[in-house]
Amino acid sequence: MDVGKIIAIFEISIEVVLDDDVNVKIGDILEVADNPNYQFEIIEVTGTSATCISLNSTRGLKKGSVVRKKADSLEMEYSDAILGRLFDSYGNVIDDKNITSIAKRPINNKTISLKDLNVDANFLWTGIKVIDFFAPMQKGFKMGLLGGAGVGKTVLIKELIHNLYMESKIKAVFVGVGERTREGKELYDEVVASNLLDNMVMVFGQMSKNPVMRSKSIETGILAAEYLRDEKKEDVLLFVDNIYRYIQAKSEIAMELKEMLIENGYPSNTMNTVSNVEERISSTEDGSITSFQAIYIPADDYNDDAVQNIVSYMDGQIVLDRKIAELGLYPAIDVFKSTSRLIDKDKIGERHFHLVEEVLRYLTRYQELEEIIAVLGIDELSDNDKNIFHRSRKLRYYFSQPLHVSEQFTNIPGEYVKIEDVLNDVENILNGTYDNVDEDKFLFIGKYNG
Amino acid sequence: MDTNIDKVLENIRNEENVYTTGKVIKVNEYNIEVSGLTDVSFYEEVDISGKASGYVFAIYPNRVIVSLTQINDNVMVGDLVYALNHEYKCLFSLDSVGKVVDIFGNDLIAGKKFNNLIELPIDGVDIPLMDRSSVNRGLLTGISGIDLIYPIGRGQRQLIIGDKKTGKTQICLDAIVNQKNQNVVCIYVAIGKTKKEVKELYYDLNKNGAATYTVIMASFNDELPTKAYLTPYVALTVAQELMLQKFDVLVIIDDLKKHADVYRQISLTSDKVPGRDAYPSDIFYTHARMLEKGCQHKDGGSVTILPIVETKGSDITDYISTNIISITDGQIVLSKKNFDKGEKPAIDYGLSVSRLGGAVQKKDMSQLGTKIRRELLTYLDVRDIYELSDPSELSDNIKEKITYGNMIIDGLKQYKFSPRSEDEMKKIFSFLNKE
Repeated sequence: MDVGKIIAIFEISIEVVLDDDVNVKIGDILEVADNPNYQFEIIEVTGTSATCISLNSTRGLKKGSVVRKKADSLEMEYSDAILGRLFDSYGNVIDDKNITSIAKRPINNKTISLKDLNVDANFLWTGIKVIDFFAPMQKGFKMGLLGGAGVGKTVLIKELIHNLYMESKIKAVFVGVGERTREGKELYDEVVASNLLDNMVMVFGQMSKNPVMRSKSIETGILAAEYLRDEKKEDVLLFVDNIYRYIQAKSEIAMELKEMLIENGYPSNTMNTVSNVEERISSTEDGSITSFQAIYIPADDYNDDAVQNIVSYMDGQIVLDRKIAELGLYPAIDVFKSTSRLIDKDKIGERHFHLVEEVLRYLTRYQELEEIIAVLGIDELSDNDKNIFHRSRKLRYYFSQPLHVSEQFTNIPGEYVKIEDVLNDVENILNGTYDNVDEDKFLFIGKYNG
Repeated sequence: MDTNIDKVLENIRNEENVYTTGKVIKVNEYNIEVSGLTDVSFYEEVDISGKASGYVFAIYPNRVIVSLTQINDNVMVGDLVYALNHEYKCLFSLDSVGKVVDIFGNDLIAGKKFNNLIELPIDGVDIPLMDRSSVNRGLLTGISGIDLIYPIGRGQRQLIIGDKKTGKTQICLDAIVNQKNQNVVCIYVAIGKTKKEVKELYYDLNKNGAATYTVIMASFNDELPTKAYLTPYVALTVAQELMLQKFDVLVIIDDLKKHADVYRQISLTSDKVPGRDAYPSDIFYTHARMLEKGCQHKDGGSVTILPIVETKGSDITDYISTNIISITDGQIVLSKKNFDKGEKPAIDYGLSVSRLGGAVQKKDMSQLGTKIRRELLTYLDVRDIYELSDPSELSDNIKEKITYGNMIIDGLKQYKFSPRSEDEMKKIFSFLNKE
């Protein structure tokens, strides 16, 4: 059905003057009658005109083109046919194979009500020392992996996919939001090579795509996870790299629409935008969604509005630090900012809790001692401080780890480390058992084997 | 410009086409407002009475904004504007190799237009995810610190970042010179460089025998900002075309900070709402879209990109730098301090990163590289602690670390335009294999 003519065109938005007696609503998908490659989503309607954002590039689009209605909303396949497949943000299959559609659903599903929400669950160990020790996970948790540019978020996400998905039978959804196309393809190739594609759904809206496409991939990805949770009654792993890019894409759209932006160029409704997706990523009686979400920190500004907004939904966070990365210690985690809701005596138990506290106490003192040494030299320290200093350095090295996915950087085979081993090793470093061992022996190891 | 008008008149005479016309109603530096042009398309090329040309930048219900890319004469209110019925294109000649050119097909050293020009869209298609394959073939630069520790692969995007005068451009020139007989086409994109710098660079590349496979594509500060904005996109369209014909292409973009500033200028004059540091919110996309052209194509060709970013006060965490770091596949950070100490190339081995690592290296190079990096970084870490200690009281382990550390720093020093082969590099660092 023709609905009107295009009268204004910009980089990612257009305006349509509506024909008489045409009824359209926000969310409707329109297309150009003689070139359906141009598609739009309505975001504002007045009596006579509609403002739309363009799903693809508007280059070459002609003023005066006739548009017609295509669908009520963006839709994605909602059946077992999604497993093992690769989708773009609009729910189109992009892995060069056909799909036989059984049922479809709009990608902008509703959020979970308080009534349906389930919060009980078991521990979920990741085999990554820093995560299991400082920020342990449980099923249904949301873990934020925060870091500035180039400090190792994607490597951590990939290791988690390796340790949790590849080693188990849990179904998983991977959503690429505004990240590198190369990484997306490499991940796909790796999953195919390990013969594990059948239990995974992948959705990509990568950084070379326009902001509308980047902003939709998360919704499409969540729909896939919801299908597995609600219809298949499964526990699901959801990996998102990177959720900050979603807010970033929304900012670009808001700028194009000449909305009034708040500080640092974010739209004023960022809070709603975040909650509309985060409140969908939840667990019910039917199944759980455990998610790992990489969060980019723009300009290394940890207090950035968008970052803090996203973090408020997380049950735990791992913060990566450029200063640690600079020392060549990976995963480059800031132990003082990394934690989870489980760090509580009643939840992880007295011993684990006490060890975390003790490690943090040591490392705090270590920072002070570094300053003293810079001025006076190490020989001036008291014996007690010398112990703290050397043990802290061992701890710092011990929390580095050879990861399976970073063998190409370290030339060391990756290791999965059990939490009991981590607790024993940390305890032994702290109580002086290893005082005579060279600190180098703790660098890039799994558990300490003497 | 005149040829455009001739073409229009010719076509009108032959009644081949009916052109939409409009009138200039407002002129600012390089954006003009036009009334009329009732059925233009977005990004269509337009001609302003033979005085200037550009493309449709925004279409409002009753006016059109045209962004000018070339101005030869003063544009006046009331001038006639022709829409040329095709998407805005740039011009390139395959004879550009060994020359300094611009995006309009001019040979800038000879001062004339090439004869055999081909038209190219300013923004080529985005290579789909499934058409890309993994980056695993090396692109050697001849610089030990890079080829061993932070290697670059064909299809990789590796940022070169550092303060003014730390040798950023030099690293890229070294990389170009080392591509001799490697079947790599190089394109050096100069944005915001002075004319003198570009001419010197042209001589440098000629002198070192790189002219037979290198194109220099330049835009200068005394030209329109729109031209500087488009230049890297056009260079990458050229690179992409070559890649699809199975060539390996290396593109240097010198530099992207200037490009960001030019884009900010254009955005602010076109009334876009400013975001962080007054850059428009889509500055990330502006660069992501560009740098994502770098890839290894499944059919064999590749585009490798080395963008350069200039920092201030050695701060790589500012907005534009971190944006670009988050796009590229790694960064070579250059340190002013190392440069002043004479440790050239002045690579900061702690802050530099390669996201591909050993995937693009031979096994022995990768093993040696990780060893050097680990030894060097742990050395830099302990050096400060024992700086004030009495050397005779240090443990053997620490003493050895310090000796090796110093040897590594020496081994990494290398003068400009003196590339090393992989074997030479392995020989220099053979002392690390002794254990």
